Amino acid sequence: MAVGSDRAVFWYGCNMARHGEIVRLAARMLEAVGMDTAPAGGPGHCCGSPKESNARISEGMGRRTVEKFNATGRGQVVTWCPSCHMNMQDVMAPVTPIAFATTHISEVLHARRDRLRPLLTVPVRARVLLHAHRGFDGRVPVNCLIPDLLRLVPGLELVEHSCRAPGHMCSGLVGLPGALADAHRAALAAMAEMDADTLCTIFHSCHREAVALEQNHRIRVVNWIHLLAEGMGWPYQDEYKTWRNAPDPRAAIGEARIEVAGELAFTRLVEPELRKPPVV
Amino acid sequence: MSLAEHIRAESARLAAACTTCGVCVRACPMTPYAARVDAADPRAVAAGMVDVLRDGPGTPEALAWIAACCRSAACTAACPEGLDAAVMLRLAGFRARGALDGQPRIPVKEDTQFSPRVKAFARLTMTEEEQARWL
Repeated sequence: MAVGSDRAVFWYGCNMARHGEIVRLAARMLEAVGMDTAPAGGPGHCCGSPKESNARISEGMGRRTVEKFNATGRGQVVTWCPSCHMNMQDVMAPVTPIAFATTHISEVLHARRDRLRPLLTVPVRARVLLHAHRGFDGRVPVNCLIPDLLRLVPGLELVEHSCRAPGHMCSGLVGLPGALADAHRAALAAMAEMDADTLCTIFHSCHREAVALEQNHRIRVVNWIHLLAEGMGWPYQDEYKTWRNAPDPRAAIGEARIEVAGELAFTRLVEPELRKPPVV
Repeated sequence: MSLAEHIRAESARLAAACTTCGVCVRACPMTPYAARVDAADPRAVAAGMVDVLRDGPGTPEALAWIAACCRSAACTAACPEGLDAAVMLRLAGFRARGALDGQPRIPVKEDTQFSPRVKAFARLTMTEEEQARWL
């Protein structure tokens, strides 16, 4: 872990494009602890994992991303996505020389938490269960670092429970029949056991799957960045959650914004995802 | 070094170090989601995975295990040889999905609309200026 360089790329990954507010809040937090960050993500900064059935294409995507990061001259890439982070270590850096250190955002904020602490002044009344996975924690101890940060939020109660979903994040479970539903049932059971009212996701793919639990269960689903932002009094709106849980996502988004996104793209690519029913 | 060369080199290194003791299979939380793996001899499943790393065909149970891997890394923590078994599974996954030879032996779940979908969501959640600077 190298958290010394103040000039960094904030590599938020691909799927976080669904949550622009998390990108904004996370970048603002990194700046608040003294980092000069340049957010980068989306398909133009892909780790190559969507094309793992073809080494040549996957390599090309990863190489392009590394070369872009090298060209920034920034000494550190701060990751958000565990898949991007592991891909950088396992298959990108060994193939294309890197001119930067790779650090997860939880490591950076934790290492500089003395600068976060004075900002966390707004009480957040929530009894929180962390939605933790087994994987990735061996690379970056997120299941310790993020609770440490959440404990800085005044008023927030973090419950201790051994519940750990399999995999490194929920996207890996989606393709295995029953696996995501089992993981969600286990989290809900742990919440009930601990009398928790808030499920706090760590990763984006978990968040976008878990927000739909609010439809059938009397719980609140938030990301850890949202909770830190609330503790700082920074306003935000989780619009993806609003849209996903709305009876009519089209009406919730509004025709003007759909026109900007493109009617065809919305109908074919966005709306089916927003209308997916919760798995439990 | 190309990614294909890296996959081949790491596969050979880790396959040579693995004793196929099967502890990784026993530790895996995903075996209930992999057809017939729970009922199979863990050593045989591990040996089948190592066979895939050596350019072999593997076994149906080993391929099912490789396909069900979602990187829990419980295998790595359990390995008595100290090997990164999760990386072994990852390399086996590349191979079983046909990354080197174009001959997939397990289902390849590629979303051809992945990038257009990400961009469509970005147009909804990011300003034009943010899209220009961040994407």
